[in-house]
Amino acid sequence: MTMSRDAVLDVLARRRTGEVVVATMTSVRSWQERAPHARNLVCFGFMGGASTLGLGVALGRPDLPVWVLDGDGSLLMQLGSLATIAGAAPRRFLHVVFHNGVYEVSGGQPIPAAGKISYAALAQAAGYAAAERFDDVETFDGALDGLLAVDGPVLVELITNPEGDFYAAPPPSAQAQPPLLARNWPPVRADLAGD
Amino acid sequence: MPIPERIPADRLLDAIHGAGVEFVVAVPDTHQRTLLEAIEADAGIQVVRAATEDEGVAICAGLIVAGRRPLLQIQHAGLYACVNNLRGIGLDGAFPIVMLVGLLGRDPARAPRENFGSMVRLAEPLLDALTIPYHLLETTVDLPQLAQAYGEAEVCGGPVAVLLGEESGPPQGVPA
Repeated sequence: MTMSRDAVLDVLARRRTGEVVVATMTSVRSWQERAPHARNLVCFGFMGGASTLGLGVALGRPDLPVWVLDGDGSLLMQLGSLATIAGAAPRRFLHVVFHNGVYEVSGGQPIPAAGKISYAALAQAAGYAAAERFDDVETFDGALDGLLAVDGPVLVELITNPEGDFYAAPPPSAQAQPPLLARNWPPVRADLAGD
Repeated sequence: MPIPERIPADRLLDAIHGAGVEFVVAVPDTHQRTLLEAIEADAGIQVVRAATEDEGVAICAGLIVAGRRPLLQIQHAGLYACVNNLRGIGLDGAFPIVMLVGLLGRDPARAPRENFGSMVRLAEPLLDALTIPYHLLETTVDLPQLAQAYGEAEVCGGPVAVLLGEESGPPQGVPA
């Protein structure tokens, strides 16, 4: 059984309050559509960095919950981050990994060890406080509140369908403005400073 | 060229405090071993141990979003390893990340770019190529450059590197 990424995002969006949410790659747009918020951070253009970007926020503001919406291909690019996060042990840290088995943005090529690897098992072995794998929305929805109550870090591996969201390069005119991340993070910092 | 010296770890630590650093994000560096020991023993600074320098860049960026002041402490080999995040986060994201980079194996009789080994010789040219400003800490006289690097990073809207020319020394009063 597999889930649609957007159905999972709907489950998360229904619970979203003041969390800082770091979304990466193909989840960026869908998350922004479902849960627009001053605390949405984007990770685009440095594949693999979402989890440690979120870790930095979590360590700097341990009073705030941080969610990271990661991809399997992205996480593989900096897999050591599981150990870094487990070692730093942010308590209110939810690491969501969409396991669709492909590099979606580049055309759906299979990731290494597709169909064999378990990110929940890797996280558990790295030292996360809890890690679970889900392949249906209802079970994930039912377990999420309990997982959010755990002293983290917590990882949830979600078996999802490839959505066919290939990356379309922006038109040259888009390069005339500062990159998205440079425009995105200062307002997030300002919002956090006011809390 | 000034004669490079092993700057005592406690003097480096004082400079780090003077720059207002709250977090040191570190991937261990033989060249800065004594400094890292001093930082680890300092209750006023939180150390974050990263598995890779790429992660270190991203953690620093997150700390900046959270309103904190981090220092990324790495070796020159780590500088080469984290080019993509320096570009994608530091430069494109305009994050004022300050890095303290150890030039392990540097021949102190020569300027870094005149060293034989590529690790030392290519560090400054790489930073030039990335358009990342840098400063060379050769003696205690250069220590104020660390605090100045933070101001420069804010003004430039991007990373600034401080290169540690000689291995950090033991704290003053402690035999080498």
